[in-house]
Amino acid sequence: MITQQLINGLMIGSLYALTALGATLIYGILRILDIANAAAYLIGAYVGWYIYLSTGNIILTFLGAILLAGGLGVLLQKTVYSPILAKPQVIAIIPLVASVGLFTISNDLVRLIAGPGTKAYNFSFPVESYRIGGLVILPSWILIFALTATLLLILWFILNKTKLGLAWRATAQDSEIAKAVGVDTSSAMALSYVLGYGFAAAAGIMVGILYNSITPALGEVPSYKMLAIIVLGGLGNPFGTVIAGIFIGLTEVLASVYTQIPIPKDAIAFVVLIIVLLIKPSGLISQKNKT
Amino acid sequence: MKKLLGVLMTLSLLMSVTACASGGSAAGAASSGGSSGGDSNTPIRIGFFTPESAAAAAADGQSARQSAELAVKIANDAGGINGRKVELVAYDDGLDNTQAANIAEKLSTADKVDAVVSGSYSGPTRVAAPIFQDAGIVMVAAYAIHPDVVNAGDFIFSQSFPGSVQGTAGAKFAVENLKAKKIAIIGVDLDFGKELSKYFKSYAEANGAKIVSEDYVAMSDNDFTSIISKIKNLNVDMIYSANYYAHASEVVRQAALQGLKVPVLGTEGADSWQLLQTAGEYANGLYITTNMNRDDKLESTQKYIEEYEAAYKMQPDMVGASVYDAFQVLFAGFESVGTGDSAALRDYISSMKDFETVTGKLLYYTKSRSAVKTVQIQQVQEGAFHGFAVIDDSKIIDPTNY
Repeated sequence: MITQQLINGLMIGSLYALTALGATLIYGILRILDIANAAAYLIGAYVGWYIYLSTGNIILTFLGAILLAGGLGVLLQKTVYSPILAKPQVIAIIPLVASVGLFTISNDLVRLIAGPGTKAYNFSFPVESYRIGGLVILPSWILIFALTATLLLILWFILNKTKLGLAWRATAQDSEIAKAVGVDTSSAMALSYVLGYGFAAAAGIMVGILYNSITPALGEVPSYKMLAIIVLGGLGNPFGTVIAGIFIGLTEVLASVYTQIPIPKDAIAFVVLIIVLLIKPSGLISQKNKT
Repeated sequence: MKKLLGVLMTLSLLMSVTACASGGSAAGAASSGGSSGGDSNTPIRIGFFTPESAAAAAADGQSARQSAELAVKIANDAGGINGRKVELVAYDDGLDNTQAANIAEKLSTADKVDAVVSGSYSGPTRVAAPIFQDAGIVMVAAYAIHPDVVNAGDFIFSQSFPGSVQGTAGAKFAVENLKAKKIAIIGVDLDFGKELSKYFKSYAEANGAKIVSEDYVAMSDNDFTSIISKIKNLNVDMIYSANYYAHASEVVRQAALQGLKVPVLGTEGADSWQLLQTAGEYANGLYITTNMNRDDKLESTQKYIEEYEAAYKMQPDMVGASVYDAFQVLFAGFESVGTGDSAALRDYISSMKDFETVTGKLLYYTKSRSAVKTVQIQQVQEGAFHGFAVIDDSKIIDPTNY
């Protein structure tokens, strides 16, 4: 029983990590909490649904939605975030408020264009479920683990093995100095948005497949829960975010099954956040260990 | 700071009181002009509110709005009510209680409506009900199940049975037909889930069944994996799911995928084409308690289903059908007593008997203005809802027994 619940928690945690990874990458470079990342999650899920409905090809679904969301990310970075950040003496709340606005607009746009009703992915795996002893593992969970691992690997490769990744790391450490020594900070910022929004879109599709349902409300919970995860993960640290996501997933599942805490499951992430920050104000993984 | 807050609160209270008073006088003005209300040139105005922009409830809002428009269209195409056109004054409450209060104020003052249908959830409807009561305007709640809605006063009616009736009827079916002895309850953490579960539990336990677990899940949470894993270990013989369609869909999907093969009994919250889409083949076998019997041969039921599907290219659901019926109740009232006399309309509705609606026969109204109807047990068979059983025991379907 406990093993099954640990697997359940790992699955949910990986999903959280996947969801929060995009916003982490953006925070890492621009130091802004980008709520609109949840818009990429929502739009990615819908675009993916349309692609899957018309092609029936799941790889094309992921690629198409990731590319489109990545493009949207760069567009928003160039037209909204960079102009705001270029203004002298910008306080951090201004881009945050802008991102809340973008998120709200995207929610309503999706509802008006796609309609308020639920849409089903109806993606069927070749095997319904795997039974090992008394344990159940669903193929959709394996896909979540595989997707999170693949995206992390891609991220690790880009950040550590490419010139653009080097520019990203330099910009993340100190964008002013990086710019002064000739690092292409603009490309590094664009990279953050391509990956940040692309990853969010992948997470959106994954949730659509897992629950076989998407609605215009899909991005609401991630829009605030991912904040808890990225803060817990040490703000801007991708690997810290994965650990924080899994930590929160496990805590939520175990607390809701084995205790009688009268608070909603969604609030557990924030309770965990407060407790961890009281003990370790830099989050689970501190900034120094950044990629 | 506290003083400032106190002053502000007093001011807002005063303003709302004056607003209510002016609402009352507006209704009074409408009543005095109402004696000439039979004039075939003046349309009958019916106020309406439903959650259209709240993402989580927008699908119900759409269904409610479409059915309201269809009800008005069908009435007008048939020549109106006593030759008078019907006009819909519709608002989106965004599932927001403050917004619902503002809409209720506007409908009862500026809009000068003759009566109101609530196409919203219990929350906004509970807030709006006292405002219409104070203004002396009849409101019929289409599907809000909380008892506080009709408790607001003698001008407020429901169109369907309250949670007490539906929860108890579900428990009777579970214990007698499904022979359930060990039951797990999963409900939405809202008035809806809590109210239904409370009455389900009470009847089931009094009749020999044991409730071995109760889980209430927030509307925003879509994951039932861990709850189903837990229930699987409890060896239950039935799950009662007092959820809306998205959650009910996950309950049946997860149960099937994790290999928990027990009957699931849902409620009217699961009565939607959306559940059939998202749960797919896993929905087959699901029982629900609801008010609409899609297999009913009644002409009005079949006409509604046909016209709805033709107009909106989607299947009607419990929410839509209940809204449609709330309009039928008002239409019958206006046909008999005309407009302008809210008290006469109230008295007419109170005395309605055996009134055929899409969601079954409205047998009579209780003293607390709750509709008494039989409870339909529907089952999903081959991807569609079909009639399975009817709970018509008067001890169960009359809410005054609780």
